[in-house]
Amino acid sequence: MMVMGRVKMCNDIKTESPLAYFHDTASRNSSVSTDKNASLGADSRVVAREQYICSHLNLRGDAQDPVFVEGISKILGMSLPIKPGHYHCVIGENSLMKQSLYWLGPDEWLLISRQLAEGLCTNLRETLDAHISITDVSGGQTLVNLSGDNEAIQIVLKKSSVYDFGVWESASESGGRCAQTTFGKTSALVSNKSNGSYDLLVRRSFADYFALWLLDAGREFGISILGPHPE
Amino acid sequence: MIPTHRAQINRITADARIDTSRAINFFFNGKRYQGYLGDTLASALLANGVNVVGRSFKYSRPRGIVSHGAEEPNAIVQINTGKLTIPNLKATQVELYEGLKANSVNGWPNVEFDLMSIFGWFRRMMPPGFYYKTFMSPAKFWMVYERFIRKAAGLGRSPMQFDPDSYDKLNQHTDILVVGAGPSGMLAAREAARTGARVIIVDEQNEFGGSLLASTQTIDGIKASSWVKNLMAELTKNKNVLMLPRSTAFGFYDHNFVAVIERRTDHLGDSASGLCRERIHRVRAKQVILATGALERPLVFAHNDIPGVMLASSVSNYLIRYGVAPGNRLLLFTTNDNAYQTAIDWYQSGREVVAIVDSRRNLSGAMYEAARKLGIEVKSGHAVIEAEGGKRVCSARVASLSRQGNKIDGLVEKLDCDLIACSGGWSPTIHLSSHTGSKPVWNESISGFVSGSSREDLLLVGACNGEYSLTGCLANGAEIGCRAAESIGYQISAIETPRFQVDELEELPQQTIFLVPHDKGISRAPSSFVDMQLDVTADSIEIAVREGFESIEHIKRYTALGFGTDQGKLSNVNGIGILAQMLGKSISEIGTTVFRPAYTPTTFGAIAGRDVGALFDPERLTAIHRWHEENGAKFEDVGQWKRPWFYPRASESMEEAVHRECIAVRNGVGILDASTLGKIDIKGPDAAEFLSRVYTNSFLTLARGKCRYGVMLKEDGMIFDDGVCACLGPNHYLMFTTTGGAAQVLAWLELWRQTEWPELRVYCTSVTDHWGTVTLSGPDSRRVLEAVCAGIDLDNDSFPFMEWRDAIIAGVDARIFRISFTGELSFEINMPAHHARHIWEALMDSGEPYDITPYGTETMHVLRAEKGFMIVGQDTDGSMTPYDMGLGWVVNKSKEFSFLGKRSLDRSHMLRKDRKQFIGLKTIEGSKMLPEGGQLIFDPEEQIPMSMQGHVTSSYYSPSFGHPIALGVIKGGFSRMGQIVYCPQPNGEIISAEIVNSVFYDGDGARQNV
Repeated sequence: MMVMGRVKMCNDIKTESPLAYFHDTASRNSSVSTDKNASLGADSRVVAREQYICSHLNLRGDAQDPVFVEGISKILGMSLPIKPGHYHCVIGENSLMKQSLYWLGPDEWLLISRQLAEGLCTNLRETLDAHISITDVSGGQTLVNLSGDNEAIQIVLKKSSVYDFGVWESASESGGRCAQTTFGKTSALVSNKSNGSYDLLVRRSFADYFALWLLDAGREFGISILGPHPE
Repeated sequence: MIPTHRAQINRITADARIDTSRAINFFFNGKRYQGYLGDTLASALLANGVNVVGRSFKYSRPRGIVSHGAEEPNAIVQINTGKLTIPNLKATQVELYEGLKANSVNGWPNVEFDLMSIFGWFRRMMPPGFYYKTFMSPAKFWMVYERFIRKAAGLGRSPMQFDPDSYDKLNQHTDILVVGAGPSGMLAAREAARTGARVIIVDEQNEFGGSLLASTQTIDGIKASSWVKNLMAELTKNKNVLMLPRSTAFGFYDHNFVAVIERRTDHLGDSASGLCRERIHRVRAKQVILATGALERPLVFAHNDIPGVMLASSVSNYLIRYGVAPGNRLLLFTTNDNAYQTAIDWYQSGREVVAIVDSRRNLSGAMYEAARKLGIEVKSGHAVIEAEGGKRVCSARVASLSRQGNKIDGLVEKLDCDLIACSGGWSPTIHLSSHTGSKPVWNESISGFVSGSSREDLLLVGACNGEYSLTGCLANGAEIGCRAAESIGYQISAIETPRFQVDELEELPQQTIFLVPHDKGISRAPSSFVDMQLDVTADSIEIAVREGFESIEHIKRYTALGFGTDQGKLSNVNGIGILAQMLGKSISEIGTTVFRPAYTPTTFGAIAGRDVGALFDPERLTAIHRWHEENGAKFEDVGQWKRPWFYPRASESMEEAVHRECIAVRNGVGILDASTLGKIDIKGPDAAEFLSRVYTNSFLTLARGKCRYGVMLKEDGMIFDDGVCACLGPNHYLMFTTTGGAAQVLAWLELWRQTEWPELRVYCTSVTDHWGTVTLSGPDSRRVLEAVCAGIDLDNDSFPFMEWRDAIIAGVDARIFRISFTGELSFEINMPAHHARHIWEALMDSGEPYDITPYGTETMHVLRAEKGFMIVGQDTDGSMTPYDMGLGWVVNKSKEFSFLGKRSLDRSHMLRKDRKQFIGLKTIEGSKMLPEGGQLIFDPEEQIPMSMQGHVTSSYYSPSFGHPIALGVIKGGFSRMGQIVYCPQPNGEIISAEIVNSVFYDGDGARQNV
């Protein structure tokens, strides 16, 4: 079952997430296990799990404009993160993320939501009577959750990014920290989660490079790339 | 099996830091030896009584181990063989492991019997300045000379095969980085960490402790080694502290960025294959504490390079840390109290101390008394003026010295000995602070260079700051550790600064001697070596001075002083001192050469890290990439993108495939993955005005549903990018850019939006990755699309050329543009990238009855060239205006606000009639191809150099016409239609071509408008 903006439901529509061709791949530390039949992730200290295809909307607006700021919180039921490097989120049933709103810049945010992009866009555009821009970028990026052994995750992040994630305070269920930074030779929006894991948002065209980089960086711990949990 | 060569004759059983229960076999120059776990290659060689470890660079003199660390000039070895070989390691830094194979890099054919030393003339052949004078002309002969010199000198051999090891990098952030884990560094780290600060402490050795590892002192009543162990335990427990042994801070860069290389597997030998061999820690620290210690300075006397002349501290190190006595009968030559400890250590190991030769007169003080109490003879006011021996010291010539230490004023006596330990004082290891641009300052009281002020936040502590007493180093370390943490906002607890009880004797001032006098003059005395690695002698510095050199930087280059892989760690200060003496200047006046990264040689592998192979440069792939792969596409790199180039069938050549693809588009239907095109979503009440300012034409009148071609100029009026821009709705546009130009265009738009026109209410968002783009092109394309498209009429009346429509294709929402880069009827379909492959495959299915043909960039290029469409960056080169390219129709000079580049278009040079203009070229001899880049001339008979009139920018074989076509630019080209131009070839052939209109195909555009 797929959730996607601007799409009519149809059973035979092929939908490919950016990392679709990497699901169920792993690189193992040879000293951990040589058993090819070991289940994926079982001997991996790090697991990268691509999240469901969601609606990704890029929001631009004036953080000083009450029409925009209050309008967003009314429509989305969550406040706009004004503080640089923070995100807010709402957890729905089954402790699944319902929607998250990331600070990307002084006048730029990213909304990731499980609602349909088209409806969301229309709703936001019609309600917010201000100079704003709402752009559907759902097809252009994907969210990957990096979980597992904390020490291993920290090393993988240190290999991949110049950013100092060590100074972040822990995330809560309603939000945490985020940063757009380098990831190998590409970029990622990195955020921390309340369960100690990290979310990485990467661009579609760089997804293959990202996956190869991740498999390489995590090899010393054993790492698996998996698809979304079945719902 | 090769028998073990010799027993460890110099191994003494002592309380050393090696594990004598674990013997390790290793090979040196083909011979098999045994050492113990914890040994370095150097300590194991000394244990085995190996005197000669290499031959010198110029004179091929036998050389032995001098030191015990990074400063070693002689024991340079090549480790391993084949693809795993590592050149130019210092034996003093190589940890022993089972099966280690090492060879001297110097010495040809071998170190024991050296062919080169037979040639007595060799020294005369290579005076200082030898390279400049001898090898610099003729310049092309350098390659010949170099081979000879490298072989003779032995500069190590690089591995010739692919490096099987893996290397990586970590980005580390810390409050405080401590470089050096000796007593002051460890205490600084402890005190800083106690405040809660994040601390990284690195040390180049295999274990922490620094000088304490070879100390017999006690701290607070416990042995130095136990004290280190306790401190280690405390640091290990603190999770704010990262301890990195075997890690050298090799470069200190701007903004407190320090590069540290961690050697992770070299000490494990082969057992560690597959793990990361070396890791570079890119450390960004708020404060850097340098606790890098000091290097002992050798004394420069005649034949001071004979194996068996060592640094005093190194003798103590081998004795106490490694349980190795590198000789039997020690003669200590010193200018200071500190080195007396070596004689005392040696005495206590039960071996003979021949004498202490001290340059100072009227000796007194605690160290002197301690030596005397042991019955050691001390010859005050004396110097070792010459060492004697061949492959090992056998005696020393000792003479009484004048008070200044610059003349012999008594008889010379000969003392038998096999080991001369010498100490000329200490030089603080200030290399890292020097990397930051800090100028070293001569400090007379410690007779050494200390760090000057630095622009970085760094603190120096302990011996590298000129503090040589252990008590002082400990107190200094603790204090600076606290201060560093406090300076970045951590609270110091009220605990008193710790005080330490150290059994330490007071030391009296040293004497400074850079060149020990000889009973013969400097030029007639046997050589006194300043830089052993590069064979720079005191008299070669004198020659340089005689030839008129005065600056130390010039002396360095003329004599090669400090040019070796040790970077003159032992030689620089002595060289500077000798120069000062010869010029009659003070050392402050001479100054010092600059230390640059890397502190010790660093492998290329580590610097490359993981950015190798597939990870070297990211490959950007479209959402349909896998389909192209599965269907045999060949790919072309366009920026970082991989684009399908052509799709060869079975045994087709590229020409055949492109021919087939071209014909299919012209006569049937082709399909192209155009997802890589840059796409920028532009919104806001002022969006149309914004576009009208960045494009040459106006967008104020563009209605919803319509598209317009636009050209962008830089301020200089030159074409920068082009593409189609569509009006999606009120105040909403979608801009297409070229594949390679996408990022620059977005940056360009943001630059103007944010800095020059902040009053315009407009936002730009990249949607390149969001939209997959598939182009159907050819007369059958409408029929193919109709079969899968719902919701709209595709006929030309309801959906004309240069418009767009929303539609549902194969069940997916999509947007269709009627734009064409081939000149044929075309539909460019955008869909969210998740569905790109779905739509592509649906179109392939519906196109099957029409033999739909996937085509790549090569076919696209041919088709657009037939149509005379330029490619920015191929047909333009940053010097072409839209008028030059025949695009005057796209320039609207009557726009109210003007547009970027407009003013430049009216400059007189831009209006010249003989500017290069964009034209087509048709070769006279129909089958001849013009090469791209070929220069065009008007007169083939003209003398060389010919006046070049233009050049070919694009050239293809055109399947539509059955002959080659080309595009080019030529001076005054628009008024030269029908004229003949010539393109001379490197082989002498001259290709002649007719200037024609750049549009070869369908000039009135009938085919794309159907």
